[in-house]
Amino acid sequence: MIQKKICMVGVFGTGKTSLVRQFVHSKFSEKYHSTVGVKIDRKPVQLGGTTVNLLLWDIEGRDGTQEIQTSYLRGASGIIYVADGTRVRTFDQVFELRAIADKALGIVPSVCAVNKVDLVDTWQVGDERLAELDPTLWHALTTSAKTGEGVEEAFQWLAGAVIGERPE
Amino acid sequence: MSDHLPSGMTESPHAFDTLRDLLVGPERRDLEDLRRQLEEAGLTTEQIAEHLPEAIALRAARDEKLARSLAPTIEGAIQESVRRRPEKIASAIYPIIGPAIRKSIADTMAGIVTAINQAIEHSLSPQGVRWRIEAWRTGLPYAQIVIRHALLYRVEQVLLVHAETGILLAHAAAPDLETTDADLVSSMMTAIRDFARDSFQSREQGGLRTFQVDEFTILVEQGPRAVLAAKVRGQPPDDLLERMQVTLETVHFEFGDPLKQFDGDAAPFAAALPLLEERLETVVATDRREGTRWGPRVAWGLAGLTVLLLAAWFAWSTWRWRTAVDVLAQEPGIVVLDTDRGLRHSRIAGLRDPAAADAGEVLAQAGIDTRRVEFDWEPFVSLDPRMVVARATARLGTPASITLALAGDTLVATGSAPASWVARAMAATIPGVTAIDARGVTPLFPDAIVRLRRQIEDRQIQFAMGSSALPPEADSPVSGIATAFARLEAEAAELGYRATLRIVGRTDSNGATETNQQLSRDRAEAVGRALTTRGVATEAMEAVGVASSRPIVGGDPAEAGRLNRSVSFEVGLAPTTMTRGGLE
Repeated sequence: MIQKKICMVGVFGTGKTSLVRQFVHSKFSEKYHSTVGVKIDRKPVQLGGTTVNLLLWDIEGRDGTQEIQTSYLRGASGIIYVADGTRVRTFDQVFELRAIADKALGIVPSVCAVNKVDLVDTWQVGDERLAELDPTLWHALTTSAKTGEGVEEAFQWLAGAVIGERPE
Repeated sequence: MSDHLPSGMTESPHAFDTLRDLLVGPERRDLEDLRRQLEEAGLTTEQIAEHLPEAIALRAARDEKLARSLAPTIEGAIQESVRRRPEKIASAIYPIIGPAIRKSIADTMAGIVTAINQAIEHSLSPQGVRWRIEAWRTGLPYAQIVIRHALLYRVEQVLLVHAETGILLAHAAAPDLETTDADLVSSMMTAIRDFARDSFQSREQGGLRTFQVDEFTILVEQGPRAVLAAKVRGQPPDDLLERMQVTLETVHFEFGDPLKQFDGDAAPFAAALPLLEERLETVVATDRREGTRWGPRVAWGLAGLTVLLLAAWFAWSTWRWRTAVDVLAQEPGIVVLDTDRGLRHSRIAGLRDPAAADAGEVLAQAGIDTRRVEFDWEPFVSLDPRMVVARATARLGTPASITLALAGDTLVATGSAPASWVARAMAATIPGVTAIDARGVTPLFPDAIVRLRRQIEDRQIQFAMGSSALPPEADSPVSGIATAFARLEAEAAELGYRATLRIVGRTDSNGATETNQQLSRDRAEAVGRALTTRGVATEAMEAVGVASSRPIVGGDPAEAGRLNRSVSFEVGLAPTTMTRGGLE
């Protein structure tokens, strides 16, 4: 069995923990809990004949991107960057976070999940903004931790990427 | 080239060649040869690369020169490497440097650390007995009681974690323990340590080594590529981290490549499981909460008992020694002046009469090992009565028929002994004896003397009534007596005796007493004179008259009267030396 360390990176309140919760336990709670430090969860993912055990490091989100604790990134095989689609600023910050992570870790398979897509009324990140993400560096998608939309795909894609398969 | 040639030579280049051949021809040919050789034998870089390994092996096998010439270069390279990339070297030697240092320290400590306390603690523990009673009383298994009281620590889980990713590589747990989230624990632990490291800005290789969760202690040993963590219930001992370090080093050594190439597949590390399982342990010991340990108590008790026994033995042997010395001091003829008792040898000094008992035998009877006693005696003469008697007995060659005793300074002898012994005894000088009383001794004379004495004492010389004149028929008996006495004197002298002759004159009972007294003495003196004329010395004789006071009894009155008108003889025998008392 292959085990891979995956980090959830994003600023404060983008829904990192909720995505993991949805992915691992198929649950969602409206209640907000801020994560202190890091929370770790495990999810086995089936990829063809192999099982990849994803160890999901849900890293505390902070206000500023400079405050991210890069030591948690050490040894990560892949990163899921999470932005809040209802706060365009958090999407901008994804790029800054990416730069910091690349410096600390090198380039690893990455997903950019623009979350809270269920909140259509306040949605701020249009397709033109999503197109800013270079497809050779990111796998971009919109997700909803509440409805589960895109969640499975985000993790499945990353699992395949970290073991060297790139499903089209 | 030709520009520089002298002008006269331009027309004929052949001439120049000829000249050159003449001048430097041989040298040119040599140069050509050399160039060819170089081109043939010279090796290109590729060729060297091809042959270098074999060449090195070949040369290294031949002698040490290669190693010597390479040494400075290699040393320089290592120095440079350490200067620029220290972590590379550190990582490379990590598996060997730890064991080497530890072994050296352990060797040094081994001589100092003793396991005596531990041994005593485990074997002589009254605690064990108490726990058995408790187990019997409560009906619980003994092992459970022991664990309840004595669980020191229990290593319940050992995790081998990839240092960089925090991914669990291998994991061992106590048999009865359910563990499902070891991989999460491993990641979480890594995260916690990352957090601690960031928060306290500690160095890369250090970090959080122990932390506590409820009754558990988590011990973490950090290596360059892997981390070993142990979940311990209770109080882990100091050396547990050290043992974990050994395990971690072994893992680094045996799984160096898999660690370096790790990409999420933990399968190669299943082989490390036995190493981890070695670290699972449950250690129980004597209950230490009370702070009392039986081992030292028992040791002290034993030491105290030993001291007591030694003291008792010492007191007893001192008492025995003193008693023996007292007995010796009371022995006649021995005066103890000084004793010196040592552990190995003892010494007794004093005065000892040569006739006294053997001091060694006296001590031996009192139970002393006399091989370790040295005697230092000054000889002396003891005046102790027992010693005087002993000395006299020895010196006189006293026969068993004689008993000697001391009264004041007079040696009193009783019993019977040959006359010669008596004579010798009377003549002897014995220290402590001023007089010898042998009156109680019956001297035994030789037959010859006895016969002569009887021969003399059986004779009587008869006198006419009222006359003191020696009758003519008395001539012959008087001569016989004189002869017998002379022989007796000679025999006695040989034994050291002097013979005396008492001449006793008598009368019958008729007539006045006074007249008869005179008559009886006259008769005795008449015989004395007759004997003197026959050679008997007057000083050997004594003439006495007893009249009718000691009559010779016999027959009718007429016959009795005749018998008593006579002179009879009594022979006396006394030792010649009379100064030391006398014999009657």
